[in-house]
Amino acid sequence: MRRREKPDENRPITTGDLTVEGMIHAATVRSPVARGSVRSIEFPRLPTGYRGILPEDIPGANTMTCFGASIPVLAHDSLSYAGEPVALITGPDPVLLEELAAATKVLCEAEEALFSWESFSSEQVAAKRVAVLGDPDLAFSIAETVLEDDYTSKALEHYYSEPQGAAASYDYDKMAVWCATQWPYHVRDSVALVLGCKQEEVSVRPTRLGVHLDGKLWYPSLLACHAALASFVCGRPVKLMLTREEDFLYTPKRARSSVNVRTALGRGGDLAGLDLRIAINVGAYPLLAEEMLGQAVFAATCVYACPNLRVEAYAVLTNHPPMGPFGGLGASHSFFALETHLNRLASLKGEDPMDWKSRNVLHKGQTILTGEPLKDEVPYAAIAEKLAAMSDYRRKYACYELVRKRRGGRGEGPLRGIGFSFAYQGSGPFLSGEDSNAYTVEAVLDKDLHAWLRTSAAVGSDGVLGIWRRRAAKILGLPLEAISVVPPLTDNVPNSGPSTLSRNVTVVNRLVGRACEAIQKRRFRDPLPLTAKSVYRVPRPILWEEGRVRGSPFDTAAWAAAAVELELDPWTFEPRPIGVWMCLDGGEIVQSERAAAAVRIGAFDALGACMRERVDPTERLGHREEYFRYGLEPLDELPPISVAFLEPGRRAAVKGIGELPFNTIPAAFLSALSQAGGAPFTSLPVAAAEIIRATETP
Amino acid sequence: MLVSEIHYPQDILELLELMKTLPEALIYAGGTEILREQGGRGIVLPPEVICIHELSELRKASLSERYLDVGAAVTLAEVLELAGSALPSLFGDTVRGIGTPALRNLATLGGNLAARDRFMDTWPALSCLDALVEIKDSWGSTWINVNRLSDEAGRPAFPSGGVITRIRIPLERVDVSAVRKVGGRDYPGPETAVFALAARADKGILASFRLAFAGRTALRLQEIESHITGRSLPLSERERRSFGEEYRAAAADLPENLASQFAVLVDGALDLLAR
Amino acid sequence: MTLSFILNGEDVSARVRSVDRLSDLLREHFGLLGLQSDCRGGRCGRCLIMLGGRLVPSCILPAFRIRGMEVVTIEGFSQTDEYQDIVAGFKSAGVETCGFCDSAKILATATLLERRTRPTNAEILEQLSVAPCRCTDPETLVHGVQAAAERRARRLYHRAR
Repeated sequence: MRRREKPDENRPITTGDLTVEGMIHAATVRSPVARGSVRSIEFPRLPTGYRGILPEDIPGANTMTCFGASIPVLAHDSLSYAGEPVALITGPDPVLLEELAAATKVLCEAEEALFSWESFSSEQVAAKRVAVLGDPDLAFSIAETVLEDDYTSKALEHYYSEPQGAAASYDYDKMAVWCATQWPYHVRDSVALVLGCKQEEVSVRPTRLGVHLDGKLWYPSLLACHAALASFVCGRPVKLMLTREEDFLYTPKRARSSVNVRTALGRGGDLAGLDLRIAINVGAYPLLAEEMLGQAVFAATCVYACPNLRVEAYAVLTNHPPMGPFGGLGASHSFFALETHLNRLASLKGEDPMDWKSRNVLHKGQTILTGEPLKDEVPYAAIAEKLAAMSDYRRKYACYELVRKRRGGRGEGPLRGIGFSFAYQGSGPFLSGEDSNAYTVEAVLDKDLHAWLRTSAAVGSDGVLGIWRRRAAKILGLPLEAISVVPPLTDNVPNSGPSTLSRNVTVVNRLVGRACEAIQKRRFRDPLPLTAKSVYRVPRPILWEEGRVRGSPFDTAAWAAAAVELELDPWTFEPRPIGVWMCLDGGEIVQSERAAAAVRIGAFDALGACMRERVDPTERLGHREEYFRYGLEPLDELPPISVAFLEPGRRAAVKGIGELPFNTIPAAFLSALSQAGGAPFTSLPVAAAEIIRATETP
Repeated sequence: MLVSEIHYPQDILELLELMKTLPEALIYAGGTEILREQGGRGIVLPPEVICIHELSELRKASLSERYLDVGAAVTLAEVLELAGSALPSLFGDTVRGIGTPALRNLATLGGNLAARDRFMDTWPALSCLDALVEIKDSWGSTWINVNRLSDEAGRPAFPSGGVITRIRIPLERVDVSAVRKVGGRDYPGPETAVFALAARADKGILASFRLAFAGRTALRLQEIESHITGRSLPLSERERRSFGEEYRAAAADLPENLASQFAVLVDGALDLLAR
Repeated sequence: MTLSFILNGEDVSARVRSVDRLSDLLREHFGLLGLQSDCRGGRCGRCLIMLGGRLVPSCILPAFRIRGMEVVTIEGFSQTDEYQDIVAGFKSAGVETCGFCDSAKILATATLLERRTRPTNAEILEQLSVAPCRCTDPETLVHGVQAAAERRARRLYHRAR
């Protein structure tokens, strides 16, 4: 092997790799109880150079606010989950720090913890949404067929590219903070609150984000507060880096949900009534509770026409670590439940779900839950037809359904099934609070005809940067090399809000376009350099009143359908997917190869969530076995995944499509499994014993 | 911080001497099982550690017509490469299903058999192949059947004070074999287990039938096997059902999921012999 | 204790404790940041190195375990033509990664291509499972490895001529 050049180092630094001269480390001391209060904290004998940090050392406020919740930076009077940070220890050796943190005695007054969430008390309700349309009670009383079932979605681990961490250090008159975050300005504001200083005195320098799946929306701000506090107290640069194990056990997970679906069919077999009760376990703090409920409610009610609807949705507080977004907010919970349910309903009526849904899907102009007409046509027919052709769905469904009905028991041939589901991903102002919707992008064209895009939007990959640059290049008539995106230090860029819900490709992308258009209009009459700012106009918010909801659930929606075919291993009866197909209407697709690859990656994640990935949120400190068993789906066990896009309409906008695999594949998988196993399963994963039992009886 | 003393014996005699003077010492080869569940920054080890990967005697392998002899510190990847097509497919398939190619470059066959709190993946296949392990201690060396690494209750029972030096895998003809892992492909947990089957037929008679299932506990039911061995093939429906029920009864103490999966695996095995 | 071994072709030594993982030693003492100490369970592949020519996870190797052995990290491997083949192959196929698992994927590909000049799709996917990551599109990754294999084969052929 001969010697050549060094590896490419032109990438933002990672938090793990970051070092600052004189830097020491910090470790977290955690609550041993899931509920209660701290009586005392006794550090072990700390060697020279090591010190403990307690809540009373916080110079500003011991609180962080985010998405409608207040979270203590270091909990004391009210402990809400096992593993909640209560103190810090700093020092030069991270290995020793880990031991010292584990040896610290945290004496608590423990209270009875609340872990139950599928049935819950009123004190546990963090948010509630209720909406009614028509007369569901009447519809159910006269229905031809009523079907009811409960569907549960499990917690999942984001397993992002790097465990969470943060570093902080005084840089002249500012506190510089480094962390990988989807929301740099929230980090800035949180740190300023904790230090009791002005926001301008904090400079956030985002590190490499990588894949995040919405797991780095707000938690990095908490770690940044810890690192900044430690740096303030010790007077030195401090890095606090969680191990993957710590991250797995104590940082936010995807929320769990239980959805009770009751449907009434009229005489013609069409949907006459829909009654849903949604419970989402949000863990210890109600972050994004209202948003998740809103998305869950709309997902359940904005796809199929139903004149009589009732939805009750609850965000339930428990003493688990906080839970919330995972590649989107609450929509995937509802899609999973409703699509699985409707597939079963169609099967019971002896009809192909694809056909049943075709008859019942909403059309442009029909009234939705908000009482308003649907603005755009739902491209169901085009998507379903293309998907059916790609996957040979109809023939396979009919075939496997026949086998299922005629099967006499196990051992009568391969057990296979194919499932279908349909869903959307909406983009719009789902997040509460002005801060959450304050998107600003700035563009500058300098005298050398080089354009600079300024935004604090965080990107996980270079693909999104490419989308912005190409848009700017097209509008300004410049080569791609003449467009640069300024590194998103909060000193240098305007607030572009949280990077979630595909906003980078929708909202921020639009703002880039508008800012460049504004420059282009002035370019040949005003001297360079030129600067233009584009601000997102927050549309009319959605209003929830008692039993009613008003407003537009989303600005635009991307639609998709998925088919999953699987078979049961003839020896172990474990499900083995043998094919996944997705067809999407994603609007304008800037680079189809890249977009298809992104959808395949999402499908891969969704399949993992159907099979091996699962986590039971921490109920006690040190519950580590789950961590060692958690793993992503091995590449050589993945089936072929085919992706196709519909041709966009003439004025199609760029739409977010990243959530669509997760909104569609789990229901398609579970329906396929139900067909293969011959029993209506209602949650994932399905235990092997349950599948084996189902296949025993014809 | 507990800092361990690390010893590097250069030959077996030195190893045995160290084991005698340091009976609580941890024997360290690949270490994948030892560090499997240590997610913290620092590694936690006992005060005395004996590294055996440098012992050349434990890194040899030889192939004859009847046996494959593998040193205990030979890695799983090396076992696959050394033996090639001579490796019984039951054993080869088992090893290929362990971890990842990178882990198999580190994990040793001896380490896989010497796990103390559960049976690792190779035990069922080696049990079905009637493999032997050479155990050396300060009193000498002895060959024992790999089944003796399990006690009567099916729990791991590694002889104290001894070290595995070689594993001898018979290369007998096997006509029907199967291996399946349940409960997760790579990381062993309470609901993970490996099923192995090896059977041979001679002139329409089932000459040998061996079936093993192991995770936290091991099931190798030689009494039932003796009922099956010697039967004419194909097995009748009545025989298939009767043996299946015997196995189900014997597995009643397993967790529900594992018991169900064991039952269907046994059914699958007996089905093969019923065709 | 003092540990001596060969690192990227050079004889080196370092003071180590029994608690030290090799991945942390390589990163913190030798400044080799191309690998990470992530899962600390040998599962995620971010710490992959070549030890005695074999691909192994360094996070589950105590530093004391490698005395006298030869270690090659991505920094050492990047000095080679094989590295260029793989980087160019990945680029031509449009392989995009999150930036955290690149080294693992490159080393995994390198050791595969040492064994198999033209690996099958199944062999590629099995080998690349050593570095699971949510950033990876398996299809594009397979094309990337095939492109790397092609480049490598051509280069070796021209060299042989």
